Amino acid sequence: MRPPTHLACKSFLAAGVLAALLGGRAEAQQLQALPVPPQDWSFRGATGRFDYASVQRGFAVYSQVCASCHSLRQMTYGDLSSLGLDADQLHDIAASQPVPAGTDAAGNVVLRAATPGDHFRLPYANEAAARAANAGALPPDQSRLAGTIQGGPSFIQAYLTGFRDTPSSVTLGPGMHYNIYVPGNAIAMPDVLHDAHVRYTDGTRATTPQMAHDVSNFLAWVAQPHLEERHRLGIRVLVYLTLLLVLVAVLKRRVWASVRI
Amino acid sequence: MADPLTSSTTPAAMTGIPTSRAPASTLPDGYGPRSRWLDRRLPVISLLRREYVVYPTPRNLNYLWNFGALATVALAMLILTGIFLAIAYTPTAAGAFASVEAIDRQVGSGWVIRSTHMAGASMVFAALYVHTFRSLYYGSYKEPREVLWLTGMLLLVMMMVTAFAGYVLPWGQMSYWGASVVSGAISSLPGIGHPLAVWLQGGDTIGDVTLHRYYALHFVLGFLILGAVVLHVVALHVTGSSNPLGIEVKGPQDTLPFHPYYTSKDAIGVVLFLIAFAVLVFYLPGWLTQPDNYIEANPYSTPADITPEWYFAPFYAVLRAVPSQLGGLLLSAGSVLVLFAVPWLDTSPVHSARFRPLYRIAMMLLVVAFLLLLACGLHRPAGIWLALSRIATLYWFLHFLVLLPLLGGIETPLKLPDSIGRPVLPPRQATISTAGAGLPMPDGAMAQRMEND
Amino acid sequence: MAVQTDPQTAGPAPSGPDFSGPDFSGHDSHGHHPESGPRRDFLTLLTGAAAVIGAGAFAFPFLDSLAPVGGPDAADATVDVDLSKIAPGQQIVVVWRGKPVFVVHRTPKALLGLQDTNLTDRLRDWASRERQQPDYVVNWHRSIAPEYGVMVGICTHLGCVPGYVPNPSATDPVANWPGGYACPCHGSKFDLAGRVFQGAPAQYNLPVPPYSMPTRSSLRIGLSPDDLDFDFSTIRQL
Repeated sequence: MRPPTHLACKSFLAAGVLAALLGGRAEAQQLQALPVPPQDWSFRGATGRFDYASVQRGFAVYSQVCASCHSLRQMTYGDLSSLGLDADQLHDIAASQPVPAGTDAAGNVVLRAATPGDHFRLPYANEAAARAANAGALPPDQSRLAGTIQGGPSFIQAYLTGFRDTPSSVTLGPGMHYNIYVPGNAIAMPDVLHDAHVRYTDGTRATTPQMAHDVSNFLAWVAQPHLEERHRLGIRVLVYLTLLLVLVAVLKRRVWASVRI
Repeated sequence: MADPLTSSTTPAAMTGIPTSRAPASTLPDGYGPRSRWLDRRLPVISLLRREYVVYPTPRNLNYLWNFGALATVALAMLILTGIFLAIAYTPTAAGAFASVEAIDRQVGSGWVIRSTHMAGASMVFAALYVHTFRSLYYGSYKEPREVLWLTGMLLLVMMMVTAFAGYVLPWGQMSYWGASVVSGAISSLPGIGHPLAVWLQGGDTIGDVTLHRYYALHFVLGFLILGAVVLHVVALHVTGSSNPLGIEVKGPQDTLPFHPYYTSKDAIGVVLFLIAFAVLVFYLPGWLTQPDNYIEANPYSTPADITPEWYFAPFYAVLRAVPSQLGGLLLSAGSVLVLFAVPWLDTSPVHSARFRPLYRIAMMLLVVAFLLLLACGLHRPAGIWLALSRIATLYWFLHFLVLLPLLGGIETPLKLPDSIGRPVLPPRQATISTAGAGLPMPDGAMAQRMEND
Repeated sequence: MAVQTDPQTAGPAPSGPDFSGPDFSGHDSHGHHPESGPRRDFLTLLTGAAAVIGAGAFAFPFLDSLAPVGGPDAADATVDVDLSKIAPGQQIVVVWRGKPVFVVHRTPKALLGLQDTNLTDRLRDWASRERQQPDYVVNWHRSIAPEYGVMVGICTHLGCVPGYVPNPSATDPVANWPGGYACPCHGSKFDLAGRVFQGAPAQYNLPVPPYSMPTRSSLRIGLSPDDLDFDFSTIRQL
C-alpha cells in the first residue's frame, strides 16, 4: 500500500503538468496510468494519528457525493462516534436515513428512520439494481477500499483529481471517462467532485483537491477505524512486556548464577 | 455432606493413620494437609511436581530449546482467541464476511482478538519451524525419541490443516480462492480425486456447505491439536529432553531440576516471543496478510495474485516447481511426509550436528533451501524464482533421501564428550582425555568447551 | 553462557540450609532449589505479581467482546394497528420491540365479567396497584377504550407466552373459568384484562405498553397519548 517513491513528480501540479505533456504524445503512452503522487498522511507510522477535522469533512463528502452510488456496508452510524461526534449528532445523522423495517400487514416493505445501531443505508437494493443504474458497472463497496485498492488512500486522492477532458487521440468506450491515474485511462465512474460541490460547516474552502484529500482521509479511517487505539494499546503492551522482560532476565540470572556451564 | 477438607485435618489423618482407601501421598515435606488430601485422591500436585518442578532436565539446553514452549504459548493464544471469535462468527456464505467485519468494527475489543488470532497463526508456525529445524540439527529425533518426533510431525501437519481451514472462514477473496485451489489440487488426484473433492466440499462447488465443514474442521482440530500436544509432552517426558551435545543424561550431575532453572529460562523466551507477537498485532497487522481478503468472496472473479500465507509458501513453491500438476502435488505432499521418515533415513549414531562436520554443512544448506523455497512461494514461478525453487526442491529431497542415509557411513564424527555435566571418570583421568590440558578443569568446563566449538 | 568459576570444585556438593548452589546429587528427588534468599523471594514475588497483572489486563478484551453489540435501537419504534379488522371476541398478536403484544376485542359480555366481584375476588391485583401499566390505563379494564385490551403477552412468571382461552368454561383450564389467558408453562392464569389469578405462580398482571388511539378504530403502540408519557422500562416485572 505504500506509495511508490521513485516518482519524478512531487505534487498534483507537477502531475498535472506531466499529464499535459504526456497528452501530446503517442497513444500507447497515454493509456499508461500516471504514477500516483506520494502523500504524507498523518496516520502513517507507528505513532500515526488521523486528522479528524479532515476525516469529518471527508464524511460530509462521502454522504453528499459518494453515498449516492457507493455503499459503506460494514459501517454502522454508531461507528462514527470515534470520529468525535456526540450521541445527538449520531442520532440526527442516522435519523435522516430511512432504512427498511420489516413489512406492513400487506407484505410491503416499510421504512423507518435509522438509529445509531443500524448499518449505513445501501444506495441500491442489490447488485443488479446497482449495475442497472450505472451502465453495467458496479460501484465497489468502500468499507475496506482504502486498504484493498492498489495505491491506497494516495491513489484515491490522485484518482479523484485525475479526471481530464478526453484527448482527441483517444477513443473511450461508451459510458467511460478519461482519468490519468487508472490503468487504460478509462473508468466508468464520472468526475464527481467540483469546487464548492459540498458545503463544509467548519469554514474550509471546498476545493476539489481539498475534498479529494478529505474523503481519502475518511476512507482510510473507515478501512482501519481502530488504528489509533491499536497504536496506543501497542505502546502500553510493549512497555509492560519490556518491564516484565527485565524482571524475568534478572530472575533468570540469579537462578543460574551458581550453575557452572 | 461433611466437609472433606476439614475431615482430613483430623488427628488421625495428621498422624498418618490411613482413614480411607486413598493411597498415601507421595508429596515431600512442605505441603499442607489440604494438598495431601487432594493428592491422595487425584495426584495432580505430585504429577505437576514430578513433571514440571523436580523434572531432571539436561543442564546444557540452549535457547533453541525454548521453541516448544513458545509454540505452546502461541497455541494457547490461538485457542483462547478462537473461542471468543467463534462466539461472534457466523459460518454461512451469506453472513461470514459481514460477521468478521462486525468483529473488527462493532464487537468490543473484537479487533484485538481477531488481530491476535491472525498473528497467532504466524507465530505458531514460526515457533514450529524453528523447533523442527532445531530437532533436525541436534538429532533430537534419534533413538529413543522416534515417537516423540512422529507426534511432533503429526502436530505440524494438523496445524497446517487447521490453518488452511481457518483461512477459509473470513470468506474473503483469498479464503475462497485458496479453498478453490486446494479443491482443484485434490481433484487432480487420479481416480479418487474428484469424488474426494466433492465429498470434502459437500458439492460440486465451494459454497455454504463447504464453509460449514471447514468451520467445524477448524474448531475441532484446534482441540485435537491440544490433545496431540499432550501426547507429545508425554513422549518427551518418557525419554527426557535431548540436548545440544546429543549424548544421553548419565546421572544427576548432568541435569538440573526443571524449576526454577528452565522455568526462568523459558520465561525469558516467552516474554521475548510475546514482544514479537505484540509488534505483529499492534504495528504490523497487515504485513503478513493479503489485503484482498478484505474483499468479500466472489466466485466469478479471481484475484490477480493468489499468494498463500508465508507459512505455506515453501510447500507452495515445491508445488509449482514442476510443470506437472499431479507431480507438483505429490512432491509438495512428499516434502512434508519425508520428514516422518527422518529417524529411519538417518544412519548416523551421532545425534548432534556439532560432532558431524558434513551433516552440519548439509543442515545449513537445508535451512537455506527452506528459506529460498519460502521466498519462491511468495513470488511468481518465473525466471530466477522458478530456477531457485527447482534447485531448493531438489536439495530438499536430496538432503533427506540421499545425504541422510549416506553421511552416516562416510562421515567421521568428532570425539564426543563423556558426559554433559562432568566427566564420568574421576577428574584427574578426565583431563587426560582433553588432550594436552595439564591442569584439572573446572567442573563442567569440558562440556562447555564442546558447546562453544 | 560463559564458564563460571565457582569455589566448589570436583566432589560432592555440600548441601545444607546455607546452600547457595544447585544440589547436583539429590535435587531431583527433593525439589530443593536455591531460590530461598529473601532478595530472591522479593524478586520472584514482584515478577509473579507483574505476570498476574498482565494476565488480568489480558482478560479485558475477552470480557469486553461479550458485551452486547448495540444493534438497531428500536426504542422509539411504534406499531400501528387497524382495529376495524378485529372481530369481537378475536385477538391478534403484533410485534413491538421484539415482544408479542396482544390486542383483544372484548365482547360486551366479557366486559361485564371483568367488573364481576366473583372474578375480582380471585385476582391478586384487580385494581392495578402494581406498576405494570401506564397511569392512563389504571381502570377496571386496563385500557383506553374498554372494548380493546392491549397487553404485552409475556407471562410475568418466567416469560412464556400465555395462550388465549376466551370462552368461559366450568372445568377447563380450571374450574369456573371466566375466559382469559392461560400460560402453558407453569399454569399461570390471567383474565381478559391481563390481571393475574391467585393460586398460580405469576405474581403480577401482564404489562400494558404505552399506546394511544389516533382514531376510534386504530392503535399506535409505543406512543402515549398527547401530553402523557410512559417509560416502559419502569414497569415492575416483565
